[in-house]
Amino acid sequence: MENRSKTDGFKLGRFWSTLITLCIIYLIIKWVIPFVSRWLTGLPFPLPVPGTLALFYIMLTIIALYVYISFSEERLEEFLTPIRRLLLGMYGSRTRTVVLAIIPLLFGWQIYSATVPKVSSPTSLRIQHPSSNFPKDMEALKNPLINPGDAEVDKFIEEVKGNNVQFIPEAMGEVEKVKGKYENILGFIPTESMQAFLKDMKTGNVSRDKARQALREKYLFEGKILYAMNCRPCHGDSTGGDGPMADGFRLRPINFTENGTIETIVEGYTFWRVSTGGRGLPQEATPWDSAMPVWKADIPEEYRWRIIMAEYELAQKTPRQPEKLAEGEGKK
Amino acid sequence: MIKRFSVSLFFLFTLSCLLLTHVHAADVPAGKKLAKTPEAIEKGRVIYYKRCSFCHGLQGDGDGPVAYQLIPRPRDFTKGLYKFRSTGSGELPTDEDLFRVISRGLPGTAMQTFDSDKIKSGLTEEERWQVIYFIKTFSKDFDDPEFNPYKAVVNVSSEIKSSQAGIEKGKKIFQEMKCWECHGDGGRGNGPNSPRLKDKFRGDPILPFDLTKGWRYKGGNTTRDIYLRFNTGINGTPMPSFTDSLKDEERWDLANYVVSLQKREVNNNPVLSAKFVSGELPTDPDNTLWGSATSIDVLLAGQVIARPRWENPSVDLVTVKALYNAKEIVFLMEWGDRFKDTVHNPEKEYKVSDVYKGYVSWEDIPRDIGNFRDSIALQFPTAIPAGTKKPHFFRGESGNTVNLWVWKSDLEESGQPPVEEVNASSPGQPLKIQPPEGQQVKGKGVWKDGVWKVVIKRPLLTEDKNDIQFEKGKFIPLALNVWDGSNGEHNLLMSLSSWHYVILETTVPMSVYLYTFLGIAGLGLGEFWLVRRVRRSG
Repeated sequence: MENRSKTDGFKLGRFWSTLITLCIIYLIIKWVIPFVSRWLTGLPFPLPVPGTLALFYIMLTIIALYVYISFSEERLEEFLTPIRRLLLGMYGSRTRTVVLAIIPLLFGWQIYSATVPKVSSPTSLRIQHPSSNFPKDMEALKNPLINPGDAEVDKFIEEVKGNNVQFIPEAMGEVEKVKGKYENILGFIPTESMQAFLKDMKTGNVSRDKARQALREKYLFEGKILYAMNCRPCHGDSTGGDGPMADGFRLRPINFTENGTIETIVEGYTFWRVSTGGRGLPQEATPWDSAMPVWKADIPEEYRWRIIMAEYELAQKTPRQPEKLAEGEGKK
Repeated sequence: MIKRFSVSLFFLFTLSCLLLTHVHAADVPAGKKLAKTPEAIEKGRVIYYKRCSFCHGLQGDGDGPVAYQLIPRPRDFTKGLYKFRSTGSGELPTDEDLFRVISRGLPGTAMQTFDSDKIKSGLTEEERWQVIYFIKTFSKDFDDPEFNPYKAVVNVSSEIKSSQAGIEKGKKIFQEMKCWECHGDGGRGNGPNSPRLKDKFRGDPILPFDLTKGWRYKGGNTTRDIYLRFNTGINGTPMPSFTDSLKDEERWDLANYVVSLQKREVNNNPVLSAKFVSGELPTDPDNTLWGSATSIDVLLAGQVIARPRWENPSVDLVTVKALYNAKEIVFLMEWGDRFKDTVHNPEKEYKVSDVYKGYVSWEDIPRDIGNFRDSIALQFPTAIPAGTKKPHFFRGESGNTVNLWVWKSDLEESGQPPVEEVNASSPGQPLKIQPPEGQQVKGKGVWKDGVWKVVIKRPLLTEDKNDIQFEKGKFIPLALNVWDGSNGEHNLLMSLSSWHYVILETTVPMSVYLYTFLGIAGLGLGEFWLVRRVRRSG
């Protein structure tokens, strides 16, 4: 002992450095890995190391340390010396009593906390998109407003010419207010495609494609009003699933801007979800936890399609295209 | 070895600091401010049309198609009156003030964060500057050099850190400056003047802020944010600036006191564990036994699932505790409610129209004191679910019903039994009140200084097949419905929560103690043997 203190005041004995290594490995598993995982994945929560894996790591570390220590007689002796000294009472008999009392108590505490009945939230598996139980006829359903037929487009052109374009009643308050400000009633829509279309109309040089684009803009305007009135309180201004009501629901409203939500499903599926709501879900999707309203009870079909248009546009996503094969296979 | 470890620790520390600062710096522009050009304004016009006009109106008049259903209403940009600024009372905001509001939103209102770092489809910094330049075109005041907000930026001294002495001084100032006249003695927004206040935008009713709700501070909940409000006042509201009436140091003290009133930790645990009590259960909310119970904070949303949809609920958090003994179970619910409403006029109830026209407007229901009662309901499934399948959290469905215990303040006030036991099988149907012989729930509610505390008690087991039966160790779904009468709430105009669980804590089985004892004794003996061996060989 005297020798050691003379040579180096800071040098740790083999015993303590082994113990500290073990502690640091434990801290890395417990805190550092989850912390770094959060940083790497960009998710708002850390990914903890699973219990069995953590145990495995710790066992490996212990084995490695054991091999290292027992590799030479000298090292083993150096490791065991403080333990032997403690047991012989060379650090004082009080220290020995305390240490020898603490170890079994810690062990007992571990046994107690491992066996005592614990309260933890019951987990239930939830399948977000029940592919098997979803009505197959919805798969091929198309949003009729995205590609309006020629007759509908021609009718729209006539309406624009006569400056008597019709809007849904929900939009009328706003439209009435800005009516006089623009040559054509649609002038309040400042998007490029609408302004280009109105310019062409003035020169009398109308293309159906541009008119179709403009009609889509009009539907989008109406859809966004309906979205803001009905869906925004939960799904949010930016479809981030963060509306003012969102925190109150344990099953949070879906964030449409996340990858793997509305871009992975076909429009028909979105329409089905909007129409039949949480209560329309099959058992594996835990309908009892979903706050999604049954919108077919309150909002007519053509409004629901407008909302879906707005939803995709606000989320800056496009729906998955239905697979062509699906139709033929369904018939077999 | 130590040296190497300390180096790696230092790296980790630096890394965590970097990450933390990155998270917090979202509402201050990270890049250079965009130049104000006609092109920027034109781009802002399109962004405004696409993202803002549905609430704020195409004309910027704060009267878009959604405005009718919101309180507070969307800001009217034509008035040039802005609440959250860094400029003196009555002044215009700086561009950076507007940037901050757009970036982080206003908690507790429909104005949300538009920061594209937080929400993928939000607005980039460039887009936010563009829309700010466009919004400013709605009011001519911004063009007037006399109203230049940059000349009116308030002075912000270095922060005085919170201390017990400072908080005490702040509390005294809260009394002397009569903050309590509006905000109430406990800061719950229930002072004597609170029911009569109006804003200067449209003369809409406005309630003083409940300072205890740390998560709803619109201008931010830090000491500095609150100090800034004392310096700037909140334009358009009765909240004045205190630059002339309080010394700088006093404003910091007052801000530290306000922060001390905030509830900042929300325990959003889905499982409430009911502790076992060997003696009598408390029947009073102030019984000391409640001190031993664990609590959870249940978050609530407006009832937006079925007609009539309501997005302006007043109760967004209820703290719940539970205790049980061999015979009974008792719950304690505690929530902030500015006014004690104990009368109910059924004839004033909102008539739900047959045609759906959208959410209910707050202007269509009587939202003053004296129309509707305050009330709370605990909801359970009628039977403990065998598997994962539960009734729908919004009043169940046919074949899978729920059991509710509805406490009503008007019954309490008039000396009747205050809790009704009811069943429901869908939100569309009226609640089915159980016959008098089935009523076994007892309750007591006490309102004090802006807080309701309600105790509800029932035997663990009953003979009634329409009642939930409480078994030890099982997860029993639990949800809440809450009504604030003076916010116009009644029937389905209410706040509601999702399913949580209550579990009756089981007592620890003897085997656990036995294993623990054996473990300790075994290891102890092992040590004893080791010491002897070492001694002999040594």
